Amino acid sequence: MSQLSSSASAPTPQFPIHKRRLRFLGLTVEDCIKSFFGGNALISVVVLGLITFFLVKEGAGFLGQNRQNLAIYRLAGLEFVDHLRRQSEDHTALTRYLSDLRLRTLNQWTGPGGLTLEAANARLAEFDDYAARFGDAADPLRGMVSDLSEVATAIKTKFLVNEDKKEERRQLLAEGKVAEAGAVVITAVDFPAELRPLRDSLPAYREANREFSTRLGALLAAAPRLPEPELQRRMDRFAELGRTYVATFPGIERDLAVWDHARPVSAAEAFTAFIFGRQWLTASFWQDWYGVVPLLTGSFLVALVALSLAVPLGVGAAVYVNQIASQREQRFIKPGIEFISAFPSVVLGFFGIAVLGQALRAMSQLPWLSWVPGFPYSERLNILTAGCLLALIAVPTIFTLAEDALNNVPRALKEASLALGASRLQTTIRIIVPASLSGIISAVLLGLGRVVGETMVVLLCAGNRIAIPDFTQGLGFIVEPVHTMTGIIAQEMGEVVRGSIHYRALFMVGLVLFILSLTINYAAQHIVRRYRISIG
Amino acid sequence: MNPPDHPFSPRPDGARRLESAVFWIFRAAAYLILACGAAVFLDIVVKGSATVFQSKAPFVNTAFLTQAPESLYVFEWEGQPRRMGDREFRAFKEATPAAANVKAESYVYSSGGIFPCIAGTVLLVVGSMTIALFLGVCAAIYLNEYARDGRFIRFVRLAILNLAGVPSIVFGLFGFGMFVIFFGWNVSLLAGWFTLAFMVLPVVITASEEALKAVPIGFRAGSLALGATKWQTIWRNVLPYALPGILTSSILGIARVAGETAPIMFTAAYVVRDKLPWEVERAVDFLFQGVMALPYHIYVVSSKIPQNEFTERVQYGTAFVFLVIVALIAASSILLRNRLRTRYKW
Repeated sequence: MSQLSSSASAPTPQFPIHKRRLRFLGLTVEDCIKSFFGGNALISVVVLGLITFFLVKEGAGFLGQNRQNLAIYRLAGLEFVDHLRRQSEDHTALTRYLSDLRLRTLNQWTGPGGLTLEAANARLAEFDDYAARFGDAADPLRGMVSDLSEVATAIKTKFLVNEDKKEERRQLLAEGKVAEAGAVVITAVDFPAELRPLRDSLPAYREANREFSTRLGALLAAAPRLPEPELQRRMDRFAELGRTYVATFPGIERDLAVWDHARPVSAAEAFTAFIFGRQWLTASFWQDWYGVVPLLTGSFLVALVALSLAVPLGVGAAVYVNQIASQREQRFIKPGIEFISAFPSVVLGFFGIAVLGQALRAMSQLPWLSWVPGFPYSERLNILTAGCLLALIAVPTIFTLAEDALNNVPRALKEASLALGASRLQTTIRIIVPASLSGIISAVLLGLGRVVGETMVVLLCAGNRIAIPDFTQGLGFIVEPVHTMTGIIAQEMGEVVRGSIHYRALFMVGLVLFILSLTINYAAQHIVRRYRISIG
Repeated sequence: MNPPDHPFSPRPDGARRLESAVFWIFRAAAYLILACGAAVFLDIVVKGSATVFQSKAPFVNTAFLTQAPESLYVFEWEGQPRRMGDREFRAFKEATPAAANVKAESYVYSSGGIFPCIAGTVLLVVGSMTIALFLGVCAAIYLNEYARDGRFIRFVRLAILNLAGVPSIVFGLFGFGMFVIFFGWNVSLLAGWFTLAFMVLPVVITASEEALKAVPIGFRAGSLALGATKWQTIWRNVLPYALPGILTSSILGIARVAGETAPIMFTAAYVVRDKLPWEVERAVDFLFQGVMALPYHIYVVSSKIPQNEFTERVQYGTAFVFLVIVALIAASSILLRNRLRTRYKW
């Protein structure tokens, strides 16, 4: 080692003991060592770059594929049929409203001291007749939807078969089998001709629609009356909803009239269909949708529940340990909470499935807790279960960082406050916590990052239903099952075909997650740096 | 309320009561967290020890710890309900020809043990930590010993902080895209090593830097003053004193590596594999084989297979073994760190 010695300071030629330095590519050994370590320091930059690169590389093809996906949707007339389908589904929703109302009425009438079930049902006969007539009114529409669906599906299938044949021919040509390639017959789909049944159905549809709306109008005007004011209020609400529904008909007719199968799908449209798409529907026989919104809401709702539990607990515990607890208490609370951070998330997820899910459901069915929104519920795995467990994951992060922040508040502040006669509570609440607020906020943000990025707990405990929760019930959404961004990647990645649109969509979700976590992280650091108190 | 008789008497009672009430709320928060953690831990430990321990000598269920997962066969034989693992059941059928056509219900993974998972987890942890420690310590040496504050270093530090916040599933996707597909390593130990190593890198770098910072500047100054080169100083006078700190803090990283499931789901973990990791034909195959791992096994047995009364044994047993391994690692890190703090005082 000693023969390699060299001095970092500028050598003078007159130096008595001068030694020739070993050089590689003009670098001394010391320089080489330094640049070796420097290269290692760069690793984290490189890894970040590589993550971005590979997520983009695998996900980039998604836009093109989704564009084609949407183009077929339009070309084959599926979009046309979906306009009608939406109309029919809205009607179904109204029918469901009626049956829900019937259930409520029945419950009220058969309540304690009320009618027997038979008597109540008999009293509801008029209502049932009305509901049946209301439901049947849409039969022509439903028939039309199912007929046209078949037409559209047939066109789509024809197109896809053609695409497969084109691919086959391309492969044969690539292999140099020109004769076989020539034998592959491709008949281009003549979309305008194929779509004629759809377009031709328009006059009939208008006719049917007119009749439908008159029937609905008559039905809504003759809605049965219910004796109880609360129920009658709902009945009135139904009539109002029904009138709004009928008012949408001209709009649908207009949409259908201007519908054009050849209108091109822009790349922006493909992108917004992903970012703002409200459906994530894969391997469907009708049309696949890749919209990230349900997953995003799922992730955020779970995080919201988790943080609303973890923030008070974590910050409270940090204040307690830092300001109030005795030395002895500190010595076991701090390691204890740090120890929780070592719990593997998959074990917590398993605990959720095996114990917590059932326990919470059992708790929700206790009569004296029925005032809690959403209680009682029957789905064992839902936002609440996942949120509780994620809170346990977020707490150590929030606690440790918040405790650090409290610790960094200059001693002088506390002493000055106490010297001025403030109580310990006043000092803690008015001086210490505000002074460390930036640190606490960044702790909360980092906790949020942890929770949003957590995979196994939400995969196992969030219920994995891909749907945007129903917010109409107020806070009741916390007991609905959701699916999350991390969960969907973990669940579907293993099963998709490499290079398929679904595969690329998952990488896009990963990219969204990556960008989101970087943003959260950046915000946390920014807040700490921007608002740090620097009093010596 | 009595007026205070001297200026330093305690404040009026209302404020004191409020103070102690608020403090009790904070105290409740702290203890509630500990209680929740303890509840999870105890539930797993109590139910899991039913699988892992037994009342007869040697008190530990060695079969569970040393065998591979098997299907469980439940059938009725000569009026007696019998339960057998896959191998035992086949041996039984051969031994008693009359039983060849016995109708047995099979429950996947519900018998046997978890040895391949333990072995796979150990291999994954050892490999990835070796890589992460090498890269991390070198990076920390540069950051702490060589680098001067500047734009480049701030950029590197920003990258480290951000890398620490990247979700583990994104590391999984990245590892899948880069190692499994682009490098063509397929689902393999090597891909898992690198994915996990990159994931814990920020933890290791930060920990190593802390340890290097703790070595007093005088050690370096003395060495340099005696004519040693920078590298000699680092090698002989800094690293030896920083090493214990680096290792203990990195144990926390080990706990994280061992505990993560998402990054190895698509890069290294197999649902099931008959052979043990070292049963390979060529040495190279060792690196390019997928392994079973404890966290993934827990995921598989708790959500991917049909649930029945026999799965709980394996679920709790695996979770218990896994939790104990990770908890031991974490606890030793916390204890060692506290010991070290008192041992080295410069």
